Amino acid sequence: MLFFGRVHELTGFREETEELHEGTTLDDLFERYTKRFPSLAGFRSSLVASRNQEFAAWDTKLADGDEIAFLPPVSGG
Amino acid sequence: MPTISHEDLFELVQAPIDVPALRQLVRGAGDGAIVIFDGFVRNESHGRATKYLEYEAYEPMALSKMREIGSQLHQKFAIHRVAIVHRLGRLEIGETSVLISVSAPHRAAGFDACRFAIDTLKKTVPIWKKEYFEDGAIWADGELPPAPPTAKPAS
Repeated sequence: MLFFGRVHELTGFREETEELHEGTTLDDLFERYTKRFPSLAGFRSSLVASRNQEFAAWDTKLADGDEIAFLPPVSGG
Repeated sequence: MPTISHEDLFELVQAPIDVPALRQLVRGAGDGAIVIFDGFVRNESHGRATKYLEYEAYEPMALSKMREIGSQLHQKFAIHRVAIVHRLGRLEIGETSVLISVSAPHRAAGFDACRFAIDTLKKTVPIWKKEYFEDGAIWADGELPPAPPTAKPAS
């Protein structure tokens, strides 16, 4: 798991490793984080998930070794 | 795999961006024009005086998205070379944060490609900007990149 921008500030982490059950989706993983960091819940609709450095649908099933991030709206330029 | 000219350049840097060097880099004998987008730090945001900005990136993903933009440019527009460089870390007022340099035999393709590149960068490249003011700091409003609505079956 990697954390950037506002999400980094909310969680206090830059990165960490999570153990998941088989069949866990990005949605399930996000749900798990909202239990640890309730203030994240309100941001769900303004975050996009990435898996292995590609934007990914929330129902994507995760596999061993995946690199995941919940990315805030981007504001480069 | 999309083909990218080995002369193209995609970089995230901490040091100031060398604009003249990036103009020279894309220049070829068959070109007739270079179009440059030089994005730099404005002194205000929504009427509040900006002190400075800080940029951070999901670096490997940002570079891969910048390379994707480069390959799209070659597919869509009759250009020669492209350089896209974004600076990270603390930037002062007036400093260049992003530089896009496109060379082409004819100007129309250069203008169109440069515009497409900056518009797409602002929507798809995972870079974030924090604006610092006298009385606090905020993450700049951004754009949520498009993601697939649902996962492909059996992936």
